[in-house]
Amino acid sequence: MPLNKRVLRILKENMLRYVGILMLIILGSYTFVVAAGISQNLAGLVTTFTEGHMQEDLSFSTDKAIADSVELEKASNSIIEEYMSFDAALSDSLTLRLLSKTEKLNIPAVIAGRELSGPGEILLDPAFARANGYPVGSSILAAGKTFRVVGYVSLPHYIYPLKNVYDIMVSPNNFGVGVINREEFTGMDNVSVIYSVRFNDRTRSLNQQAAQFRERLHGEGITESGWIDIMNNKRARMAWASITGLKTMSVPVPAAMFLLSCLIIGIVIWRMIRSEAVIIGTLYAQGYRRRELMRHYMAIPLLLAITGGVMGSVLALPSIRPSVMAMVSYYNVPVVDIKLSFSNVLIGILTPVLFLGLSSYLVIRSELKRSPAELMKGGKQKTGVNALERALKLERFKFSTKFKLREQLRSVSRLLFLFLGVSSASVFMLFGFTIMNSMDYVFKNSTGGTYRFEYEYAFKELQYGKAPEGAEVFSAGRFYPENDEGIEFYVTGVEPDSMILTLQSSAGSPLPNDQTNITKPLADRLGIKAGDSVTFINKQDGKPYTFHIDAVADSYAGQFIFMPIAEFNAQLKLPENSYTGLWSTKKLDIPDGRLSGTKSLSETTKAMDELLGPMVSMVAVMTLISCVVGLIIIYLVTSLIIEENKNTISLFKIFGYRRREIQSLVLNSSTFVIVAGFIVGIPVMAASMGAMYGYLGAMINLVLPTIISPLYVAVCFAAILLTYQLSKLLCAKKVNAVSMSEALKAGME
Amino acid sequence: MFIDVSSLKKSYISGAVVNEVLKEIGMELDEGEIGVILGPSGSGKSTLMNIIGGIDRGDSGRVIVDGVEINNLNNDQLTDYRREQIGFVFQFYNLVPNLTVGENIEVVSNISKSPLNVDEVLAAVQMQDKKHRFPRELSGGEQQRVSIARAIVKNPKLLLCDEPTGALDYQTSRSILKLLQQVNKKYGTTILMITHNAAIAAMANRIFKLRNGEIVEAALNQATVPAERIEW
Repeated sequence: MPLNKRVLRILKENMLRYVGILMLIILGSYTFVVAAGISQNLAGLVTTFTEGHMQEDLSFSTDKAIADSVELEKASNSIIEEYMSFDAALSDSLTLRLLSKTEKLNIPAVIAGRELSGPGEILLDPAFARANGYPVGSSILAAGKTFRVVGYVSLPHYIYPLKNVYDIMVSPNNFGVGVINREEFTGMDNVSVIYSVRFNDRTRSLNQQAAQFRERLHGEGITESGWIDIMNNKRARMAWASITGLKTMSVPVPAAMFLLSCLIIGIVIWRMIRSEAVIIGTLYAQGYRRRELMRHYMAIPLLLAITGGVMGSVLALPSIRPSVMAMVSYYNVPVVDIKLSFSNVLIGILTPVLFLGLSSYLVIRSELKRSPAELMKGGKQKTGVNALERALKLERFKFSTKFKLREQLRSVSRLLFLFLGVSSASVFMLFGFTIMNSMDYVFKNSTGGTYRFEYEYAFKELQYGKAPEGAEVFSAGRFYPENDEGIEFYVTGVEPDSMILTLQSSAGSPLPNDQTNITKPLADRLGIKAGDSVTFINKQDGKPYTFHIDAVADSYAGQFIFMPIAEFNAQLKLPENSYTGLWSTKKLDIPDGRLSGTKSLSETTKAMDELLGPMVSMVAVMTLISCVVGLIIIYLVTSLIIEENKNTISLFKIFGYRRREIQSLVLNSSTFVIVAGFIVGIPVMAASMGAMYGYLGAMINLVLPTIISPLYVAVCFAAILLTYQLSKLLCAKKVNAVSMSEALKAGME
Repeated sequence: MFIDVSSLKKSYISGAVVNEVLKEIGMELDEGEIGVILGPSGSGKSTLMNIIGGIDRGDSGRVIVDGVEINNLNNDQLTDYRREQIGFVFQFYNLVPNLTVGENIEVVSNISKSPLNVDEVLAAVQMQDKKHRFPRELSGGEQQRVSIARAIVKNPKLLLCDEPTGALDYQTSRSILKLLQQVNKKYGTTILMITHNAAIAAMANRIFKLRNGEIVEAALNQATVPAERIEW
C-alpha cells in the first residue's frame, strides 16, 4: 500500500520521540530476558548441584558417636554420613575450615584442577583461594600441615560459605572452606564430628521426618547439638533469596516499562489520527476500507514493539552468562551449563507486541469508527475542553499557574503517563538506596549500637562459673513458634547488669537487662507487643516454654528475646551459674575444641564494607537507569506539550513574550506533576520494600527494616530534578524553533 | 507621522527562485487614524503588516513606527516593541483553546507594563458575561470580540488587524467593525487593517491599494462612514 511509505517518514520526522518509546520497550524486554535468564539458570545450577551431589537435609553433632548408623538409616529411611571439621586459623583474621571428603552426602564437586588423590592435598573454595592468593598448584599451611592446592571445590552445604549459620555475609578475605582426606585429620586436636542426614522420601515433610529422626536419636540415648535443618541453613538457602528476588523482579519492572510504552504510544497514535482526521476522511471517501487504514496506523506501534522486543531480547542474551558468572562468584556452585531460553526471548518479543498492539488497536478503532463526513470536518475534539479543566476554579491563581495547571490537565492520559513514569523511576531509584541504607543500618549502626562486645564465643558444652575479665556470660537456646518451624530465633539469657547488651526502647530510653525484652524485627514478625505472654518450642528438647515480654527493643541486630540468665537457666532447667557462651571486649584464649563457633563484630563490619562496595555500584547503575527512564518520559511528555502548543507558543512570540517566559510557561508546567510523582513514589517504595523484606524474612530468616534516609531521598530528588532540567534543556530548542508564522498560518477555532 | 514606510523591499528566496513580495513600498499613517490595506491574495498585504508589526523584517527601506526605525531593531528589541506597542487581531482569532475567555485576555495583560483592567476590556467588547467560557463555547463573532479584547488590553499604540471579518457573516462583521471603530475612538488606538473587502475602506482615514507588491493607490478619506452604515 503506497500509504505505508509514510510510516518510515513519520518515524523519521519525530525521531527522538520514537527512539524514546523504543528505549522503554528495549529496557522492558532486556530486563525480562536477563532477570528471567539469570534466575532460571541459577535455579537450574543450584538444583542440579544440590540434587546431583546429595545436599544434606540436616546436620548435627552428638555427645557420643552413633553406634549403628546403618540401622538408623534403615529405620529413618535416610542416608547418614559423618564428616570432620576443623577451623584452622591462618592468621588473626583468616580462618580456613577444613572438611573431610565425603562420599555419600554433600559430595564435593571439583570445578577446577583435579580430585584429591594423595596425602597432603587440598581442594579450596574458589572465592577464598582467589581472595587470599592460593592458585591451583600453590601450597597452604593450615593446622600445622602444608597442603598442596590441587583444585577448587563446590560443596552443596557451603554454597554460600558463611563461617557461622547466623552470619549474613560471606567474607572470603576472612573465611573459606577446604576439603582434605579424612586421614589428614590425624594429629589435629579438637576436631568436630558432624553428621549429615538426607531422607530418601523426598515427598514427605522434611520437618516431620527430622522430628522422628531426632526422637530416634534420643531413643538411643544420644543428645544432639548444633542441629541445623536445610531450610534454616543460610549456607544453602541464601542463593534462593537471589533467585526468588530476580524471578520477582522479572515481572513488574518489564510490565511497568511496557505499560508506560502503551500509554505513550496510545497518546501519540491518538493525536496523530486526530490531526489526520481530514486525510482519513478523504481516504474513506475515496474508497479506502477501515481495515486498510487500521493496518496502516497499526504499522507504527507494531514496528516499534517488534524492533524494541527483538533488540531488547537479543541484547539481553549475551548479558546472561556474565551475570550468572557474577552471581556464582557469590554462590559457590559449579557452572555446568548456562542455557539461553528461546521461550524467554519469544516472551520478550511477543509481550510488547501484545501490550502495544492491543492498546493501539483500541485507540485506532475508536477513532476510525467515526463517519467520513465527521472526519473530514477535522478533529472533533481537537479544541475541546475536558470535564476536569472545566471544573477547575482557578480565578485566584496567577496567570502562569493557571496556564501550567490547564496544560497538565488537558490530557489525563499524558498526565498519567508522566505521573506513573516519574513515580516508577523514583521508586526504582529509592529502592537501591534504601536496600543499601537498611543493610548499613542493621549491620553497622544497629549491631554496633546494641552490642558492646568485640568477640562472641559459643561453647559446645555448658560452662560454669564466672566470666573472665572484660567478658560477660550468656546462655542461648533456639526456639520456634508452635506450628511454624520456619521462624527460628534465639532466646538468650544475659547478665541482668550487662554493660555489653545495650537495648533501647522506641522512645530512645535504655531498657534494663533484668527484664524480658524482644527485638523489634522478631516482635513485628510474630505480632508480639509488650505485656504479652508467649509460648515457643525449644528446638533442643521440643518442649514448650512461656515467656512474659516486658518491652520491645528498637534494635534490628537480629531476632532475639533477651532475659536475665538466672531466669533463663531456671526455666530451661539448666544448672545455676551455667552458661553457653561469652561476650568479650577482647580476644580470649579458649581452645578451639571447646567452641562451637566464634564471631567477631569487626569482621562483620568488614564484610559489610566489602558488600557495600559492589552495592554502591549497583545503586549507581539503578540511579542511572532511573534517570534515563525519567529523562525519556519527561522528554516525551514535554515534546508532546510543545507540539500540542505550537500555535500557542507562536502566539506568545507574536505578543512579545520573551524566550525565557515562554519556556517557563510551557516547560515548567510539569514541575508539580514531577514533584507529586516523586512524593507518591516514597510510600509506594516503602510498601513494596516492606513486602519484599517480609518475603526475605520468610525465605532466609533475615529481617531488615525499611530505613528511608532523608539524605538519600534528597539525593534521589535532586537526581530526578536534574533529569527534569536536562529534558527541559533538550526541549528548549524545540520551543525556540517554533516560528511566529505558525499562528499566522493557523486557522484554528 | 505615526507610521512612515518608504522604499520597503522584501523578497523570499525558494531555491533558485526569488519571489519579490514588496517592491519599493511607501505609506504613511497618522496617530489615531484607521488605515485599510486592500488587495488580492498574494499582493503582499500580510507581509507588509508583519513587517510593521515586528514579526518579519524588510530587506531594505525604512519602516518607522512612532519614531522608531523597526528595521534597525535586534530580535530582543523587536520582542519589546511587539510587547509594548502592538496589538494583533487575526482572521481566525487564534485564541488558546484550553484557556477561558478571561484567561485568554490575561495571556497579554500578563506581560504588559500597564494593562487595562480585564473586566473593563471585556465590558468594552460586550463579553463580560462570557468571561469563564472556553473559546469552543463561543460563536465566531464572539471569539473575534475576545481576540480584539486581548489585543487592546495592553492599550497598544497600534492595532494590526489581519482580515478581522474574513471568517464572519455580514451582520457579525459589521458589529466587529463597529467595535474596532469604538476602540479607535475610546482609546485613540491607531488601527491598520488588511482586507479583501473594498466596502470596509469607507470607515478608514487612509486607504492603500496593493497589487503585486506595489502600492498602486493611496487615498485620504475625508468622509469616513460609521461601520454600522457600511454595506456590501
